[in-house]
Amino acid sequence: MTATDRIMLRSSRPTEFVDLTARLQAAVEKAGLLNGRIHLQSLHTTLGLAVNENEPLLLADLEALLKRLVPLEATYLHDDFSLRTAVPSDEPANGHAHARNLLLQPSLTILVEEGELLIGRWQAVFAVELDGPRAREVAIQLDGDFARAGADGVKRLIELELERQLHADPAPVGDPMRRLVEAGGKRFRPFLVLLTSRLGPGHDPLRAATLAAAVELIHAATLVHDDYVDESPKRRGRPTVAAAEGPARAVAVGDYYFAKATRLIAELGNPDVTSTIAGAMEAICRSQIDDLEFRGRYPGDEAAYLQVVRGKTAALIAASCVAGAQLAGAPVEVIERVRRYGEAVGVAFQMTDDVVDFSEHSGKPLGQDIRERVLSLPLIYASEDASRGQEIQGLLAGPLPDEHLRRVVALVAESGALERVNRQAHGLVRLAVGELEGVELNGVKSTLVEIAESVVDRSA
Amino acid sequence: MIVTDELEAIESLWEAGLAETFTAYQPAAASLGEADASRVALAAALVETALGLQQLGRPAPPAPDLLRGDLCLARASRLLADTRDRRLQVSFARAIEEQAAAAAAERELEPTRLRLLRAIQEAR
Repeated sequence: MTATDRIMLRSSRPTEFVDLTARLQAAVEKAGLLNGRIHLQSLHTTLGLAVNENEPLLLADLEALLKRLVPLEATYLHDDFSLRTAVPSDEPANGHAHARNLLLQPSLTILVEEGELLIGRWQAVFAVELDGPRAREVAIQLDGDFARAGADGVKRLIELELERQLHADPAPVGDPMRRLVEAGGKRFRPFLVLLTSRLGPGHDPLRAATLAAAVELIHAATLVHDDYVDESPKRRGRPTVAAAEGPARAVAVGDYYFAKATRLIAELGNPDVTSTIAGAMEAICRSQIDDLEFRGRYPGDEAAYLQVVRGKTAALIAASCVAGAQLAGAPVEVIERVRRYGEAVGVAFQMTDDVVDFSEHSGKPLGQDIRERVLSLPLIYASEDASRGQEIQGLLAGPLPDEHLRRVVALVAESGALERVNRQAHGLVRLAVGELEGVELNGVKSTLVEIAESVVDRSA
Repeated sequence: MIVTDELEAIESLWEAGLAETFTAYQPAAASLGEADASRVALAAALVETALGLQQLGRPAPPAPDLLRGDLCLARASRLLADTRDRRLQVSFARAIEEQAAAAAAERELEPTRLRLLRAIQEAR
């Protein structure tokens, strides 16, 4: 198997030795490469590669050597724009940098043993900037024997990739998003991406990790905007971005990560994946507008509820399943099955969330969704109940002080609506699991079944 | 006609300025070929409209405007996905990232239209 990735860096000086060793080791760990090789290739004519010791005075010596051997002051025909044809308007005079690059290497291979780069005690791997400062890109490929990541390995991969993606972002957007991501979350969607990315012959754990992180960032961006719309004070036990940083910052943070996730996915270069995720984003945003409109007719009806939930929750869950499989080049039949699996699991997920909202153990203040007029299927069913519906509708029409809220919660519980929704969610999970029958799922079927079942077996 | 098909749930924006914005991007998008020109001009107009609705760099908008802006951004993203042109998708995404990062840092934003015209040019 082969895995691919890119190391993006930004040099800060005209000549600079940028130590890539730690990033290469991280790439090895992220890919789960046990024994094999990591190949690096500079994608620039004025960025070389080298292995040497990372000792500041030595690096100064090496820089001085490059300058002595290939002086800046020498004459380079490359810099004579009166002689050259078709010179771009922003072409720099950098003949010296091209010439110095001849002394370095455009590509390197480092062996990997037992998950570690095989390098000597004093060896470090450098990208050598010769015409900085600039944004640079080094391509890497890993091949050899990869560990089959278990659930823990997959979760660690997701966290590593999220950390990597957030690391480079400007602080005004990156810091609030990092706090939100670090506060927890089930990572349900990225987990599905990584699982279904094993369903085709083109499985590449690093590309799948990038897609998984992008999907989680889309989810997080929707939460940032949702929390502003719902005026929620807390998310995952911490102040929301809007509460902590102000609404204007929350708008910008959400926009930034919508765009960044879109870019990461586009850069993967799989148009089907790009279309799948773009379609899901559109469905989410469309349903959020519907959701806001339906709140005016609160608590709404089952049809409105399903319309919103299919867009707001199920669309991205289904897209996670589909996009992972598409990235791996899975067969069309498999992609269709995991799409239907994801849609059913997504709706069951939201139904269970609604039931959990009526539990003391939800981690949220009891009845918070009711107070925020979030569509809730148990509440819809209970408000249609012959003996309790009228009282519930009457209470919901008022300002809902705590005692009225508690009364609504009690009436919903008495009505049997929670059990009814729970039965429906279990029925959807059976449907989802049924979609996994009779197709080759490359060893991930049991995990997909476990995930579907865990969606309806939870109390928070 | 691609434009009329793409206005579901945001029809009111067309008369409120989206049509004019779309027209403004058409010359730049024309160079991308007949099949994609309308898509790209509309995508650019939707992004500009979205960032305007969301008052990026100014006090936050009312919730419905934020959500309509999100829908405009998502639809623009899907239109660009329909072109299957990776350079365009990356170029537009970078433009939005830059505008959002500047807004979050409370720096002055480059006029969105200029930035998006540059994004179209970069993708040629």
